[in-house]
Amino acid sequence: MGLTIVFLLYLALKTISFSLIQLFNIFGLIVIYFAMRRGEIFGACFGAGCGLIQDAFSLGVFGVAGLSKTILGFLAGYIAKKIDVTPPVRNFLFILFLLGFEFLLWALLSSFIFSQKLFIGKTFYSLQPLTTAIFGSILFILLGKIKYLSPDLR
Amino acid sequence: MPLFLKERKSLLILIVLVFIQLVLISLQVPLEDNNYFERAIFSVFSPIQHGLVSFFQKIGNIWNGYFYLKDLKKNNTNLREEIFSLKQENDLLRKALNSLQEERVMMEKLSNLDQNILAARIIGLDYSNVYKSVIINKGSLDGVEKNLVVLDKHGHLVGRVIGPVAIKESRVQLITDPESGVSVYSQADRIQGIVSGDGRGRCVLKYILSTNEELKKSDSLITSGFDGIFPRGIPVGEVISVVQTTSLFHDIRVKPYFDFRHLDPVAVLKIHPTDMD
Repeated sequence: MGLTIVFLLYLALKTISFSLIQLFNIFGLIVIYFAMRRGEIFGACFGAGCGLIQDAFSLGVFGVAGLSKTILGFLAGYIAKKIDVTPPVRNFLFILFLLGFEFLLWALLSSFIFSQKLFIGKTFYSLQPLTTAIFGSILFILLGKIKYLSPDLR
Repeated sequence: MPLFLKERKSLLILIVLVFIQLVLISLQVPLEDNNYFERAIFSVFSPIQHGLVSFFQKIGNIWNGYFYLKDLKKNNTNLREEIFSLKQENDLLRKALNSLQEERVMMEKLSNLDQNILAARIIGLDYSNVYKSVIINKGSLDGVEKNLVVLDKHGHLVGRVIGPVAIKESRVQLITDPESGVSVYSQADRIQGIVSGDGRGRCVLKYILSTNEELKKSDSLITSGFDGIFPRGIPVGEVISVVQTTSLFHDIRVKPYFDFRHLDPVAVLKIHPTDMD
């Protein structure tokens, strides 16, 4: 259901403006969600898979998103195991920290490989961790409430 | 397995995954053509993406169809009027063309072109930068191959097909990609240069000497055909600023004619520049 919501949002944003897609790190959010539920090993493997799919649909060096999402999945699973990240504010900070870290890692890797400054200053890219964290924490709360009300989904 | 390895199992898996991907990255630097692994992943997952997009598009079509039926009569009247004016416009244009070229030669060229235009829908964007590339729903089965030219619905240049080309999907490099290059000239003064993307939805015109003072704001740029990829005469964009710099060349910004927000659908030109001439 979460995936459907995310995908519908993606299509809606694409219809309004292509630039708006840059506001949301949808793949990152999916990786965090599954890593929180299944642990760091699953998170790392799932992150690697998602990242490589993302790389396959992008122009550039294959493996950059894969590497950053592997580390993202691992960290998400590891932190979620040590700290309870379900309270809304903590959940928001948790997602913001992870996506900010992934963004930084991806930017560093890309600029290191391409040996040039990334075009992120005048685009929505720099806002991506914040907007995704806001949307993600709201989505996770809603999903938690739906599962609480429907025991079959637990 | 020793105890310390069991305790560090997850860390070991992370290290292995990171190592594999570092190897993958290092194999591609400096960046060349797509490797086989990337091609395989693209081929496996592009039909899934295609299927999902088609599914949601069908749902959207059903919903839109409902509203469409509600206003069918009104729409029909509007469309008839539109067709009438378009026919008139078409007739006038044909007459104008006829006066410029021999009718027989022109008709041959038009019919040849018509058979080689393939309409395609955009089914995916580039996650690293939306202004670099898009994925379209036509592939090798439809006759799409590398370096075919892609235009928007108004005939403005969008980009070219690059690898990998899957059976029913292919990737299009946009002219707004910093790694793209299109040989162009200005329509007014025939000044030649190379248009490349700036990665932010705009383009830059390169290699115009700073001694050149003929190129002005609002000048139209069209393809020159000298690159051997893009046929001659396709509208590319409009010069929006010419800045004098201390370097050898001008800093010229170009706004591409194609509208990113209304890019879908696009036309793939299944004809090579040499065949067009």
